[in-house]
Amino acid sequence: MKTSSYKLYFFLIPALVYQLIFGIYPLIYNFILSLKDVNLITYMGGTSQWIGLSNYVQTLKDTVFQRAFFNTLVFTGLSLSFQFIIGFLLALLFNRSFPLKGLLQSLIMVPWVLPIIVSGSFFRWFFSDRGMVNGFLLSRGLIDKPIPWITSQILPIFSVTMANIWLGIPFSFVLLYTGLRAIPLELFESADIDGANWGQKVLFIAVPLLKPVIITTLTLGCILTVKVFDLVWIITKGGPGEVSHLLSTLSYSLAFDKFQFGKASSVLVIMLLLTIGLTIFLNLIRAKEESSIG
Amino acid sequence: MGKKRRAKEWKWTLIALIPTVIIILPVYFIAIGGFQTVAEIFHRPAYWFPPHSTLEFYNDAWVTLLPYLKNSLIMALGNLALTLVVAVPAAFALAKFRLKLGKPTFFILAFTQILPATAVIIPLSLMFTKLKLINNYFSVILGIAVFTIPFATIIIRAYIQGIPTGLIEAALIDGASLFRVFRSIIVPLSSPAIATAGILTLIMAWGDFIVSLTFLKDQTVQPMSIGLYHFVAQYGVEWNKLMAGSMIFAVPPLIVALLAGKSIVTGLTAGAFKE
Repeated sequence: MKTSSYKLYFFLIPALVYQLIFGIYPLIYNFILSLKDVNLITYMGGTSQWIGLSNYVQTLKDTVFQRAFFNTLVFTGLSLSFQFIIGFLLALLFNRSFPLKGLLQSLIMVPWVLPIIVSGSFFRWFFSDRGMVNGFLLSRGLIDKPIPWITSQILPIFSVTMANIWLGIPFSFVLLYTGLRAIPLELFESADIDGANWGQKVLFIAVPLLKPVIITTLTLGCILTVKVFDLVWIITKGGPGEVSHLLSTLSYSLAFDKFQFGKASSVLVIMLLLTIGLTIFLNLIRAKEESSIG
Repeated sequence: MGKKRRAKEWKWTLIALIPTVIIILPVYFIAIGGFQTVAEIFHRPAYWFPPHSTLEFYNDAWVTLLPYLKNSLIMALGNLALTLVVAVPAAFALAKFRLKLGKPTFFILAFTQILPATAVIIPLSLMFTKLKLINNYFSVILGIAVFTIPFATIIIRAYIQGIPTGLIEAALIDGASLFRVFRSIIVPLSSPAIATAGILTLIMAWGDFIVSLTFLKDQTVQPMSIGLYHFVAQYGVEWNKLMAGSMIFAVPPLIVALLAGKSIVTGLTAGAFKE
């Protein structure tokens, strides 16, 4: 509808102003901090100096940062692949009617609604040296001594990734399931008549028709995974010895454990650029797909 | 429906039950963990049923967490109020009118929604420190709303777009003011979407961790999530008390998930496919 009534802005302005003050301004402020030598003393005294790109240079040279960057890629790549496969299989399984379907579907949403402190502390116990996984493996005689799932050098990032896969199943399930529902069941039925097997139906009917939905699921999943903070902070706090940091937990630890606000801000800017870059890249793919379809 | 067909459908229920049970298994182990001693929790292999159930640890956890409950409620409800007051009108303006600032606003909402929480919360905490807002409920409500406002606006907007524009035009021609149209047509007709957005907003604020962890250092204003974090972070975790407390804290969202599972599904998809 077209109307020139200025009164309409009463409806729109609060949201716009709110997001500008509390969402966008902090980003700008953060960028400014990343160019200064801000720590607790210089911040409270207001005596921080401009130091150009020095925070960035230090950060990029820092092996802890390099590790966190690598971890973020591993974490995102593995989470996304497994969440997608599991979510897709579940969506295919639920794409028919059977008794109690609504209840089971609600139960699959549980990882999403469970407060993160609850799932995080569960996994901390689950993966601990005396926890459930080791208890199971030891009692079956499959291992002689506990596997250090979250206390060694290499394993912790993979353990938190496994926890995150569980956490993300509802999200990919819901999106892919909704997409699948839009495909007429007759298509699958006529394929049945033609003697197509399950794999052929998935590959030649579901996947091509779902392409836009699949791209959306992967795009959003990627953005959501790159920024995960809470889960890793609760399970390992980036440790032991900073080997399981993601960019998010590293920046938080720099800011609030070490009070190196300037350096923390430079990590945040890099993470933000990664998020924005990924979003643009994935949207380009999406736009290209859509134009090739329509 | 024939008996044979019926039986075939129940077969699918059984098959679907397997992954569902695996997915919710953690909740089961948390729930029974609260009935066991620490030694029993660490028994090899884990017990499937608590060997000597006791309500003692649930009781302990409840007493410890009770002071945090009030804070969780204030934060979650305060955030809900702020989110809806800002989001519903914006959703209306964005869904039904072509405004100069419409596109930029939508872009900013979509953009802030995907921002990493740390990228907003760390600088905000420095700003709030200078404004003396730290340890204040407002800081948390304001911080969480940065993420819930865009989320709610996008969900509600998608729904309002489906309300016939003619209805609004007719009311305006009859001399109703915009505010009247909003109050008497838009809000009642979009109540299902407002409810969905409200439920999701409540779940997000109730479960918040990072905003409270960062802005609330004083124990008397912290919510239950941080109360539980104190359990985890202390040396020699009392796992049974932690699991009992976790379960208590998880009950409200779990009930909502069971009662409003469908709304959650619609809400999440409306938020994702925003075009």
